[in-house]
Amino acid sequence: MRYVKLSSENFSSFFESLRNWGKVYAPIKRGSIYTFQEVHELGEIELNYTRTMLPPKKFFVRPRDEILRLKNGRWENGTDAEPIVLFGLHSCDMHGLKILDKVYLDEPADPYYKARREKTFIVGISCMPDEYCFCKSLGTHFAMDGFDLFLHELPDGWLVRIGSVRGHEVVWENGELFEEVTDEDLKHFKEFEERRANAFQKEIPQEGLADMLDLAYNSPVWKEYAEICLACGNCNMVCPTCRCYEVCDNWISAYDAVRERRYDSCFMENHGLVAGGHNFRPTRLDRFRHRYYCKSYFDPSSGYNCVGCGRCDEFCPAKIEHVKVLEEVRGSLR
Amino acid sequence: MSENPHQTYDARILEVKDLTPREKLFTLRFLDPEIGEHFTFKPGQFVIVDIRGFGEFPISLCSSPTRKGYIQLCIRKAGRMTKFIHQMKEGEVVGIRGPYGNGFPMEKMEGSNLLLVAGGLGMAPLRSVLWYAIDTGKYEHVWLLYGTKAYEDILFRDEIIHLLKHGDAVGCSVKLAYEVESPSCIYLERGFFDRVCKGVVTDLFRGEEFDVDKAYALICGPPVMYRFVIKELLDRKLSPGRIYMTLERRMRCGIGKCGHCIVGTSTSIKYVCKDGPVFTYWDALSTRGLI
Ligand SMILES: Cc1cc2nc3c(=O)[nH]c(=O)nc-3n(C[C@H](O)[C@H](O)[C@H](O)COP(=O)(O)OP(=O)(O)OC[C@H]3O[C@@H](n4cnc5c(N)ncnc54)[C@H](O)[C@@H]3O)c2cc1C
Ligand code: SF4
Ligand code: SF4
Ligand code: FES
Repeated sequence: MRYVKLSSENFSSFFESLRNWGKVYAPIKRGSIYTFQEVHELGEIELNYTRTMLPPKKFFVRPRDEILRLKNGRWENGTDAEPIVLFGLHSCDMHGLKILDKVYLDEPADPYYKARREKTFIVGISCMPDEYCFCKSLGTHFAMDGFDLFLHELPDGWLVRIGSVRGHEVVWENGELFEEVTDEDLKHFKEFEERRANAFQKEIPQEGLADMLDLAYNSPVWKEYAEICLACGNCNMVCPTCRCYEVCDNWISAYDAVRERRYDSCFMENHGLVAGGHNFRPTRLDRFRHRYYCKSYFDPSSGYNCVGCGRCDEFCPAKIEHVKVLEEVRGSLR
Repeated sequence: MSENPHQTYDARILEVKDLTPREKLFTLRFLDPEIGEHFTFKPGQFVIVDIRGFGEFPISLCSSPTRKGYIQLCIRKAGRMTKFIHQMKEGEVVGIRGPYGNGFPMEKMEGSNLLLVAGGLGMAPLRSVLWYAIDTGKYEHVWLLYGTKAYEDILFRDEIIHLLKHGDAVGCSVKLAYEVESPSCIYLERGFFDRVCKGVVTDLFRGEEFDVDKAYALICGPPVMYRFVIKELLDRKLSPGRIYMTLERRMRCGIGKCGHCIVGTSTSIKYVCKDGPVFTYWDALSTRGLI
């Protein structure tokens, strides 16, 4: 890794320089939530945000996405990827993107996702956990890759980790804005990370988690929660690693149609429904449990399908807490 | 962007044949001869059929890769899309992408006995295995145990009756179980009293001795069938690793992206579309929800 320092007074010039890459999207506050939107000046951005409602997956896997267009009886396709900058991503969201990469870039790669991913410049930013975060216990609280630049807050500026050649080029082109990192800066960096590590209030005990959950398949806890759950699917929509989609053809004129995909949720009754009315997950209990199993699956190459961002807790209208459910299910084995 | 996995290839419907009141056999050929040339598959794999502007659906290949120049799909009229294709005529064009899924391990099973157990529409993918085995002659002996509702529902009836009569000559013994009695069934039963009976597919196991050391079982049928068939096989001491079954799930993409076909729990997640649709019974023992 290469490290440089960006002082506070150069911050806005740095932000301006990013606009050479493409449109800049960053977290802003809207009502009581944060959201990634296009920004034109630094002042619009909420640097101290906790989590956006929709994760950055919305830039790569859009809530509604046209994939093919029917012209003269044939499908035409093309990506509309344009260069963009995602400014201010948190570490957990980068890990979320890495999990999506595994799905969408695995052969055969999804061309829409791939093109958008390649054209996006990612700038990370350090954060402080709130009561919902449990990324530290999943090891997703620190990103070692998956970004071009990562900004760590210092009292008088930012320690910048350069994570890619593109990141290096941007720094190089704007060389006058950056300085060498001093021992003092490193001390502050370390202090910040320690303070942050101690600020986590929630954790998932990982020890034997996957096996314990599997063994607790018939636990009554699943049932208790399935009764509280509204099956609204909010937790799926906001999850940075959920990516189920449904496909639908729509006619726009007598001659032209589009094939669209849109977010789907495993809480919806028809998620596992096949022809003839057979449903592989007929009850809410089946569907509730399925989501937890999917999120808690451990892939040796990419870890769990949950990065501990806390979105599903914050945006659950039934106030169901992810970690609490897992702990209770596990506990019910005893 | 030429390499788009969502893009489908034009295929012309060469022939539409009524198999039963609910199922039709579609014979297709790719318009582009180069694609037709390169399109190879394994028995047990499936394609996604694309009716442009209306939608897509997965269907098993029921012809054999040994017979080149065309593919066949046996499609049951089950809902919106399948009803649409049932109204299509010879000469019309649909889109096809695939083949998808893992298919049966035909090479690994060479030299062994194959025990095919089909229930209803499950006959479709197993027909591919059956013809493959007969065409290549690389298998010791093939049994087909086929359970059907009624005489009218027997898929590929002409072929089945032909094999009842002449199958042994090509190393293939067919047995048939039907549930609803009819004059045609009774006639069949008289002709092949040791091969045709009233009952369900598991009744066909009775009195049959299989050399389990040299056998693989390949099962396809409705979800309820698997448990009963597998019990028969386990009773005969067939190893869970030698029992293959092909499964159905809701599918959208066929390539491991859309998430619909995911089954399993925290210790084992499988995509039916790419890890399957063919699984062993051992997979089912280690992945909850598979059967
Ligand atoms: C691997 C595989 C192989 C199959 N092989 C065959 C075959 O050889 N012959 C045959 O007749 N049928 C087969 N099917 C089932 C066939 O895909 C469904 O009958 C068909 O998709 C029903 O679509 P529909 O629009 O007519 O039904 P509807 O009931 O109207 O379906 C409603 C919606 O659900 C979707 N849907 C329903 N069932 C399925 C399903 N099983 N998988 C994915 N989407 C589904 C449809 O696309 C549709 O949009 C197979 C399914 C799978 C997964
Ligand atoms: S957000 Fe909460 S209530 Fe809605 S489906 Fe998820 S767990 Fe259930
Ligand atoms: S399951 Fe919840 S905490 Fe985990 S990544 Fe998804 S939204 Fe975040
Ligand atoms: S069908 Fe889409 S993931 Fe399997």
